Amino acid sequence: MLNWTLRELLSAPQQLLASVAAVAGAFALVLFFEGIFAGESEQIVALIEKTEGDVWVMQKGVGNMHMATSFVADWKVGAVADVEGVEKATPILYLNSAIEAGGRSWFSFVVGLESDDPRAGPWSPAGGARMPPQGGAIVPDIFASDAGLALGDTVRIAGRDFAVAGFSSDTFSMANSITYVTMTDLADAMSSIGSVSYIMVDAAPGVAPDALAMRIMEQVEEVNALTRADFSARDYSIAVQMGLEIVWMMTLIGGVLAVLLTGFIVYSHISERERELAVMKALGFRNPAIYASNMLQALAIAALAFVLSVALMLAAVPLTEWLMPKVNLALTGSALVRTGATALVVSLIASAIPVRRVLSVDPATAFQR
Amino acid sequence: MTPILSARDIVKTFGAGNTLVRAVDGVSLELMPGELVTITGPSGSGKTTLVSILGALLRPTSGEVRIDGNSLAEMSEAALSRLRAHSVGFVFQSFNLLEALNVRDNVLFPAHLAPGGVRAARERADHLLAQFGLTERRHALPRTLSGGEKQRVAIARALINEPKLIIADEPTGNLDTRSGQQVVMVLHDIARDQNRSVLIVTHDQRVEEVADRVLWLEDGALRDRKDEARDWVRDPVCRMVIDGWTSSIHHDHQGTRFHFCSERCRERFVASPETYLDGATAAVVPMERKPT
Repeated sequence: MLNWTLRELLSAPQQLLASVAAVAGAFALVLFFEGIFAGESEQIVALIEKTEGDVWVMQKGVGNMHMATSFVADWKVGAVADVEGVEKATPILYLNSAIEAGGRSWFSFVVGLESDDPRAGPWSPAGGARMPPQGGAIVPDIFASDAGLALGDTVRIAGRDFAVAGFSSDTFSMANSITYVTMTDLADAMSSIGSVSYIMVDAAPGVAPDALAMRIMEQVEEVNALTRADFSARDYSIAVQMGLEIVWMMTLIGGVLAVLLTGFIVYSHISERERELAVMKALGFRNPAIYASNMLQALAIAALAFVLSVALMLAAVPLTEWLMPKVNLALTGSALVRTGATALVVSLIASAIPVRRVLSVDPATAFQR
Repeated sequence: MTPILSARDIVKTFGAGNTLVRAVDGVSLELMPGELVTITGPSGSGKTTLVSILGALLRPTSGEVRIDGNSLAEMSEAALSRLRAHSVGFVFQSFNLLEALNVRDNVLFPAHLAPGGVRAARERADHLLAQFGLTERRHALPRTLSGGEKQRVAIARALINEPKLIIADEPTGNLDTRSGQQVVMVLHDIARDQNRSVLIVTHDQRVEEVADRVLWLEDGALRDRKDEARDWVRDPVCRMVIDGWTSSIHHDHQGTRFHFCSERCRERFVASPETYLDGATAAVVPMERKPT
């Protein structure tokens, strides 16, 4: 029966290819949308991940960076630096704002830097100054290109004009970008005096970040301290959660589309092979064996479609990066697992669609001429 | 000796009330091991319904069918499927091979349901292919075979699980003379040499010639006619020569039975018998035997 099932499927290779391609299209659509959310979410935590601070200190009650506001009194930077196990404490002033230039505006994390330490600055410079000078800003290269900005041109951030002093790459996405200015300039723009937003902490060699975070919270009042992993995971979770319903909706739409396509294909196979099914029943094969055959065919189509959709996505990631640099596309393990599970569910549901048709096949019709 | 197939008072009706049709009407028959029996009859006489019932594909409205001693009435659908797989081999007029499988896999297909599975049946399949002259064609797909080859594959498939009963529906119907003759002899040998019971629905005179019994089915009722001489008579209305033995349209008039080719002729005769019995026409003997 297995032999017949697979050979029957392969007996019309063009039909099989078209079927698999159609279902793969539905899966690829799901993977693509989920990939965009994953890519954008990864971009949202890029600042935390790339600057590589071991512990992040923020206002008590605040647990993330994206869309959050945190105020920490500037004297606490010194207090954090004095905690045993802290090698360095780097203050960051931070604002969620729009940057405007050349008639374009874009949402951005605006990061105010105090020191000349390049670790807190852009991790991938793309021209001009490495760190923002007074009155200057380092903007994402994609935004600059989009808005037609050159060094020395003006961008408006939080109601204040800044001169473009440099460019950074890997700091721009549809949902978020990162712009660097000096802390003094940003404090001035925010009318924020005597406070910072976050303190990035480097642990001394051999000090565990989670233990250090606990120690900071114990010794410095009214602050929250999180390891980089925790801080990043929280922001990523919030970012993903924002798109979760849309991702599920897309998965549902793609899944339904795949069920309908696979179901139609299996149903068509059944209709075309009704005579053969009657012969099988006459020879003694029972309905469960025929259902199993349907299910195997649906599973094979869904599995091939899944593999094809993953291959399409693997090709789409670099292609998207090249053609649409604003879009961050990421193929994550969880997306693969979810789509793989969807493919399995799709094949189970699709194989159930022609059940009535299989049941209604009368073995006696094998005698019809 | 126990019959392989036994049917008693089989009735099969379809519909109800005014639309009720008795497709099979009180059929009884027995088939012994090694016996080859043909069922013949006009179109619509219920042959397909009858072989479907005898092959455990259709349950009768009433009556009892036994295959190899097992009463089908007491069996579940699953048990009927098992019985078909193990005890009945089917040969169809339109061959009904599985198009995606090659010759050898088609022959082996029912072996999936046999106790030893396909593995145990491979040698038997190769033997059957050799027996039917299909060894060279064992990897060919059905669409590349001639009609005769397809039917030989179908017969090999019917034999792979070594059933005691073979039911063949017009096995020579789609074949040329030579291929038809080969298939007739194969079926004959299956009955004689392998002691299997073979039931064939056919209109093919060649099959009737090798049959042990020829059964005539008309209007759902079965009659044995192998030993009967054909009773050639002339329709008194249209003068057509017909077989009075198998004709079911008749009318008794003044102690004589007259046979007709159609209801139209019978109605004409009943309306005015004298017209057809007077003068020159009446001089013709109503139940005249055709000269041989």
